[in-house]
Amino acid sequence: MKPTLQTRRKFLRTSALGAAAAWTLPVFLEKTFFALDAMAADSLTQTVTGKDNSILVVLQLAGGNDGLNTVIPFADDDYHRARPKLGLAPDKILKLDSYIGFNGKLTGLKALHDDGHLALVQGVGYPNPNRSHFRSTEIWQTATDANQIASEGWLGRYFDNCCSGADPTVGVSIGDQMPQAFAAKTPTGVTFSRPEQFRWKASTGTDGKPLSGEEAFYRQLIGQTDETPPSDGNSIAALPGKTQTGTSTEDFLRRTALDAQISSEKILAIARKYKTNMPYPATQLGASLSLIARMIGGGLPTRVYYASLGGFDTHAGQIGSHERLMTVLNDALTAFVADLRQQGNFDRVLLMTFSEFGRRVAENANNGTDHGTAAPMFLIGGKVKPGVFGKHPSLTDLDKGDLKFGTDFRSVYASVLEHWLRAPSQLVLGKKFTTLPIV
Amino acid sequence: MLSQLPRSRWDERAAAHLLSRAGFGGTPEEISNVHAKGLERAVHDLVESGPAAYEVAPPEWAHPRDLRELRQEARMAKERGDNSKVREVRKMEGDELLDLRRWWLGWMGATPAPLVEKLTLFWHGHFATSAEKVKDGYWMWRQNDTLRRHALGNFVSLTKAMSRDPAMMIYLDLPQSRPEHPNENWARELMELFTVGIGNYTEQDVRESARAFTGYRLDLATQQSYFAPRQHDAGPKTFLGRRGNFNGDDIIDILASQPACAQFIGRKLCRYFVADEPEAALVNSVAASLRAHQFEMKPVLRELFSSNEFYADSVVRAQIKSPVQFTVETCKLLSCDLPAAPIAQNAMRQMGQVLFAPPNVKGWDGGKSWISTSTLLFRNNFANYLINGDAMLPPANRAKPGDPGLRTGARAAIAQQFPRAPIDVNKIAPPELRADPEKLVTQLSQRVFQTGAAPEDLAAFTSFLEQRNGDTNDVTVRGLLHLMMSTPDYQLT
Repeated sequence: MKPTLQTRRKFLRTSALGAAAAWTLPVFLEKTFFALDAMAADSLTQTVTGKDNSILVVLQLAGGNDGLNTVIPFADDDYHRARPKLGLAPDKILKLDSYIGFNGKLTGLKALHDDGHLALVQGVGYPNPNRSHFRSTEIWQTATDANQIASEGWLGRYFDNCCSGADPTVGVSIGDQMPQAFAAKTPTGVTFSRPEQFRWKASTGTDGKPLSGEEAFYRQLIGQTDETPPSDGNSIAALPGKTQTGTSTEDFLRRTALDAQISSEKILAIARKYKTNMPYPATQLGASLSLIARMIGGGLPTRVYYASLGGFDTHAGQIGSHERLMTVLNDALTAFVADLRQQGNFDRVLLMTFSEFGRRVAENANNGTDHGTAAPMFLIGGKVKPGVFGKHPSLTDLDKGDLKFGTDFRSVYASVLEHWLRAPSQLVLGKKFTTLPIV
Repeated sequence: MLSQLPRSRWDERAAAHLLSRAGFGGTPEEISNVHAKGLERAVHDLVESGPAAYEVAPPEWAHPRDLRELRQEARMAKERGDNSKVREVRKMEGDELLDLRRWWLGWMGATPAPLVEKLTLFWHGHFATSAEKVKDGYWMWRQNDTLRRHALGNFVSLTKAMSRDPAMMIYLDLPQSRPEHPNENWARELMELFTVGIGNYTEQDVRESARAFTGYRLDLATQQSYFAPRQHDAGPKTFLGRRGNFNGDDIIDILASQPACAQFIGRKLCRYFVADEPEAALVNSVAASLRAHQFEMKPVLRELFSSNEFYADSVVRAQIKSPVQFTVETCKLLSCDLPAAPIAQNAMRQMGQVLFAPPNVKGWDGGKSWISTSTLLFRNNFANYLINGDAMLPPANRAKPGDPGLRTGARAAIAQQFPRAPIDVNKIAPPELRADPEKLVTQLSQRVFQTGAAPEDLAAFTSFLEQRNGDTNDVTVRGLLHLMMSTPDYQLT
């Protein structure tokens, strides 16, 4: 994981421009290359080999997970007072100590805790909490202060600062839309949900075979030529983005097309070669984590994977729906961990959960809970320093009916960046945050 | 103030731009016709479509039912251990939604008044409501009908109509709001997403306005909304610095009177019709126009579509097509039918825009967020399917489930149930044109890229034909079209 200096200028001359000259590449690409080349600056680059690096998996629980029914302060009478209907009975709680316990559906997470592979950070939030899903999600994704707007995401800034020159698959999000956390000056990372479909298909000729020449021309049109083989780890994604000539919509489209083409071959090859025999639950999250495990097992040179589970906005009729979500989460994570263990990759992976906010302490009139503030985060991995970090927030010392946070989420990010990804957190987060000994 | 486009700048390129932004694009013939009308007439015809444009015949199943009875029956059957009723209701919901999507997408392609549909889509994204929560086809259709009737009308009236719209009410929990427990969901989104935007109200304003929107009720037996005075908190409220016994309509009127409201709606209109990051001066002009016309949409749009700013070089062909635009426009350009309903629905899901199911109450973000490596490849492959039909699939896979692109997992063999033939190439490339490969490339790229491709791209397309030894049979022309529609440039409109 030693940062190596790579001369991007040299790379550009040798591969991209060389290719452009060798082919009658459309002028737009040449222009892009020249302009970007002029702006290019040498920078710290983390080399990625795919086989030995630490990997971060970020799991978003979208909609605002009810922290108080995930990690339950069962010994606190105020919990039961605030939640006469939604409060969980002792037989639905897996006790960690004499004060808190996991939701009864989180049996796999409890086992990971007992084995020493799970860290729980309590009361995570940020100052001046915002109760809008969108704004609060944006705050978590961009890691800014609540009153600041940023267009780049925190992982995007990590890619920009520490992974420039890397393969586009350095960041992989499972789904159809790139998470805002990935937004970077240089568009980095790929998004897909099904490897078999993640591929450009040529038209079929009358003989039932792909139309000869079409694929080659498609590659030419998007700027991929034989001189820039897909496996060399260098793509347009290596170029800086927001230059003065930079991210026009057209440039953005070209980079995405090129990234898609370069990475799709690699991803498809891994998907074909590497199958898992681990049974995963038949849920969207199960499918996402199984795919991530296949990519890890196949050695895709990825530092950050991103997946999400939605449905946590439990304003009404929460009991059944939240228990179902806990089951979905638990079962998918349990299979994922077992799969990684079987691969021998559990020590290389750290999985972190987050949600845009927790929910109000008191239940509402519709057997649900409204938007709140601080909530717990889980970190799971073979090398995680286990335990419970931070104090459980008080249920009586509230801010407008909501929990007061104890740990800033950016402290957790900083810990992951510094101790796991070995990246300078201040550069990525714009500020120094205290780190926790979680890895 | 917006400046008027000089007559000298009204050319085919401008006409093509107007047709693609205020509608779903046009064929070369349509572009010529619009150009020949002149700017004023062209804009007038788009904005002033006759009453028929607003009276779209509903799908035949779209009428109110006694939902209370229907749901009660299903519940009772379930209690007896009979889940068939529940499944039946769910299947009906699914079938109706599928048909509703077919109905609207089809009408977007067929309508003589595309601006009405384009704005209905804008308002659908603005007052985003998802069938995932509403779970009823009639209510979703009815909201669409209401959005259409107000699409080019008055924004304030539309907002009031939405506060009484059953689908919206369900989506934002309005019927559950009681004087003793006002639900804040609708009140908050009304301010944050529908009128003034975040930062222009306080938490106190959310709580007070939530009280004003109590008493809005739904009758499940008739599927109609009504006002229940006894469930309404008629007491005095303090809202945005004013005090009075406000009801919901009063709250909406107060919000519309805030300068932030015209600014918020103006910016959103600019983002939809002009550019992802519209210039501040443009937004200010449109906001001023909204205020001057008391939120009447027609005069505002007439000004916008006649303005220099709308036709600026930096604006033309610089917007990423939404999946709806991509689908409707591509079929228009290829002169082919839309794909079968289940295929279209699945394709829209893959591209990230399922009608009647926006991802959340914020609607679709649009712009660059439409494009990821995943959606971009899908668009390319979808164009392949639209052009080549089932022939895009290798023969061995054509009838197998779960294979490339366009089928939904275990439900399988949709291609068998809904076969699709390749396009009729002669419709857009007649034999006499095919005799001259260079001319063929020029004309097809004129059609596909509206105003033609860059010379370098033209050269690349021509050399593709050369590599095929100048052979311009149907298969090659379809390959050429697919190549054109796979370029980054084709994603733009």
